[in-house]
Amino acid sequence: MKYAFFQGCNIPIRIQQYATSTEAVLNKFGIELIEVPDFNCCGYPARNVDEKAYLLPSVRNMAIAEKMGRDILVICNCCFASLQKAKNTLTKDSKLKDELNSFLVKEGLQYKGCVQIKHYLTVLYEEIGTEQIRKQLVNRFKDLNISVIHGCHILRPREITTFDDSFVPKITEELLDTTGVTSLDWRGKLECCGAALAGINDELSRKLLKEKITGAQTAGADFITPICSYCHLQFDTTQRNLDGDKSSDKLLPVLLYPQLLGLCLGIDEQRLGIEQNSTINADDVQRIKSLLGPPVEEKKKRKKKAATAA
Amino acid sequence: MNFNILLGLSVIVCLIGLFFRLSIWFSQGIRPSTPSHKSNLNVGSRMSAAIQGVFGVIFSSRILLVLKSIFVDLLFQKRIFDKSSLRWTAHTLIFVGFVLLFFMHALGTTVSDSLFNDYQPTLNPFLFLRNLFGVMVLAGVGIAVFRRISLKPQRMKTYATDWAALVFVGVIILSGMLLEGSKISSFSIYEDMVEEYASLDEEEARALEAFWVQENGVVSPNAAKPFDAELIEQGREVNSDSCIDCHASNRAAFASFAMAKITRPFSAVLGDSASVTLFWYLHILACLSFLAWLPFSKMFHILAAPVSLIIKRVTGDELKEPANVLNSQMIGLSACTHCGSCSIECSSGMFYETFQNDFILPSEKVQYLKKFAANKEHDPAIIKRMQQGLYVCTSCDRCTTVCPSGINLKELFVSSRYSLLDAGDPETTMLSHFSFPLALAQNFVDDHVKALKKVTDLFKNNFQHLTDLTSPITLGKSTTVVNNSYKGCFSCQRCTNICPVVRSYEDPTEALGLLPHQIMFSLGIGNVDLAMGAQMIWSCSTCYLCQEHCPNQVELCDIFYSLKNDAINKIEAGGSS
Repeated sequence: MKYAFFQGCNIPIRIQQYATSTEAVLNKFGIELIEVPDFNCCGYPARNVDEKAYLLPSVRNMAIAEKMGRDILVICNCCFASLQKAKNTLTKDSKLKDELNSFLVKEGLQYKGCVQIKHYLTVLYEEIGTEQIRKQLVNRFKDLNISVIHGCHILRPREITTFDDSFVPKITEELLDTTGVTSLDWRGKLECCGAALAGINDELSRKLLKEKITGAQTAGADFITPICSYCHLQFDTTQRNLDGDKSSDKLLPVLLYPQLLGLCLGIDEQRLGIEQNSTINADDVQRIKSLLGPPVEEKKKRKKKAATAA
Repeated sequence: MNFNILLGLSVIVCLIGLFFRLSIWFSQGIRPSTPSHKSNLNVGSRMSAAIQGVFGVIFSSRILLVLKSIFVDLLFQKRIFDKSSLRWTAHTLIFVGFVLLFFMHALGTTVSDSLFNDYQPTLNPFLFLRNLFGVMVLAGVGIAVFRRISLKPQRMKTYATDWAALVFVGVIILSGMLLEGSKISSFSIYEDMVEEYASLDEEEARALEAFWVQENGVVSPNAAKPFDAELIEQGREVNSDSCIDCHASNRAAFASFAMAKITRPFSAVLGDSASVTLFWYLHILACLSFLAWLPFSKMFHILAAPVSLIIKRVTGDELKEPANVLNSQMIGLSACTHCGSCSIECSSGMFYETFQNDFILPSEKVQYLKKFAANKEHDPAIIKRMQQGLYVCTSCDRCTTVCPSGINLKELFVSSRYSLLDAGDPETTMLSHFSFPLALAQNFVDDHVKALKKVTDLFKNNFQHLTDLTSPITLGKSTTVVNNSYKGCFSCQRCTNICPVVRSYEDPTEALGLLPHQIMFSLGIGNVDLAMGAQMIWSCSTCYLCQEHCPNQVELCDIFYSLKNDAINKIEAGGSS
């Protein structure tokens, strides 16, 4: 299976490791990602300013993918939501579809509406499946506590994103479970990282971020796993800029999901770009690797546990 | 004589131009004027910083990077090669062809004479190469013209000056070929050559003439085709004895030989020596005016782009010395060829389409910034559009990555963004997620806060607030909100109770103006203005929790988005005073 790989604006310049680790993981399961230099911004940044300005860029991206004859695979939650929103809006509003298409026709593009937008987690969960993933594991984590932050725009509004149950999301949780990590219950799991307010109301933005950092740390998280690239930048970059919190040992380090899964699949940590996460140091990497064990043993133990419990 | 005067004049104009352009490198610059950025960076200190920088590189291992840059970036032009093989082909054809013609032909008496002891412009390979190089340049110009036309739909902007540069180069080459063509067919030139280099009897002269008419394209008033084959053979022999040592066959000058067809009618009307003089003037004037025009045009990139590329290779866009940051800004601006690569790849391309603002495209910003740096732009309407163009940027840095001249566009745009915001009107697009990467990068933090305050004040002053109301709130007449799901609100306050933003304040009403359910309520009574004036909409984290939890499907977060759009529209429509 091949997908048009939509990376958005942040990932190629600020979080390359998210793209490389996702690609490395998906390649393991025979899924190929095609880079499309022609893709532009998803439109999200303009959403506060103008609805059409927000929708048009996504419509163009979808038209490009349609021309290629490929569905789109997205990493960033906000890009994902923008593409889904544009698709959803134009399905309901054919007049607007014609209007926005009139911008594209100049470049020989046309949006028809047949392209599918898929988050990489959906592809992992539905197309590959946790069973298949488990079969290919060469390692599994033991005693690693993770706080996942799902990110708002992948879950809500559920009618648009149609990703998962927006109140009790299971896709991400089950995918995390394959790696053997403990995904903690913590306040903030389904809440806002503050990214949408950065640069507009920094005080509030940082307050929301700090709340999440403390929430995850209080719950006993060793690492935080942000799904959205905006959340990632909040935790991996803004966290280091937070006032009074400059000593690196107090930082809540970030590990991305494909990095966790990639280690379990035996992919080299260099390729997963783990050290490119700016909140992680060499000790962290050693610690993570020391928590990796063979996947089969773990299963046996489970069975034993189940047997003794019974 | 005439030539020397013209040459002297064009060299003087060129030198004056070069002095003028080079002085800009050390005198102009773009950065906000707030006190924290103020320092005395006069021309002297700027130049000494540059010299120190250059010496610092020369006497260190980084000199190797300079050498690498000369081969990889300047001669091979890897940055163009990486992005488009068609562009690279076009540029290489023009660059190689023109440079070689310049040294081999234009400076023939100095360069070629000293390199090759048997150099004769009328001998091969020179005769042939001149044509080959000329055709290379013309082919390159052809591709460049095609590129500019075919990429127009991809937001490629072409100005008269861009066409002028291509036309100039094309005219220089074509006029050269026409000149050579007119010389080829000129009988008087043929006669002069015979007189000077050969001593022939009448029969030999007749045979040679027939041969040159037949084989070398000379147009003779006496001899006309068809010729007797024997006569031609005899002429070929005379040619081998008397001519061939200094003059190869004109057919080797394949392009000019073909051009002779065009020049013949001119010769027929004007006489051949007048025709040669005409094309000589055309060619010389084209070359000399190009020389004079060069420093004042984008062709200055011949000088500036190499400097810019070396700086990029050596410093990796990480300059610490403030004086050198400004120097490199100005070198960068002068190295722009308006090739449009940045705009074609610009991630904000679609915003250009909807906002209808040229300045959203990086290549257009650069043209403006040249004026801005020179303090020559005072039209407030243009400045306002430029400010928007600078802000409607996703900070994806593609422009900086793609620029074939290696201009640090990112730095230029960040500095000019805050420089304009500092002096300009409040910029409403600041209240968008375009601000996110700026907050992340932490450049010009104080300037950002200051400019942001201007915008938030603007909104505070332009909308009514609950606390300002003295008379009782009454039902409004109509509403302009498209999303009418607010009608389903029955004030259960679930939205307000779940809102992480409301939760963040001790006194949320004071901080946010209206709480989410109150905004729905004001829409319900038709008071959209009150809703638009609520700080809540700008403090909304867009997490959609309210909307998701609403028991009656009120699309609060979406309504907030449209209120924000409408509020910005209203402000922009009313002027930003």
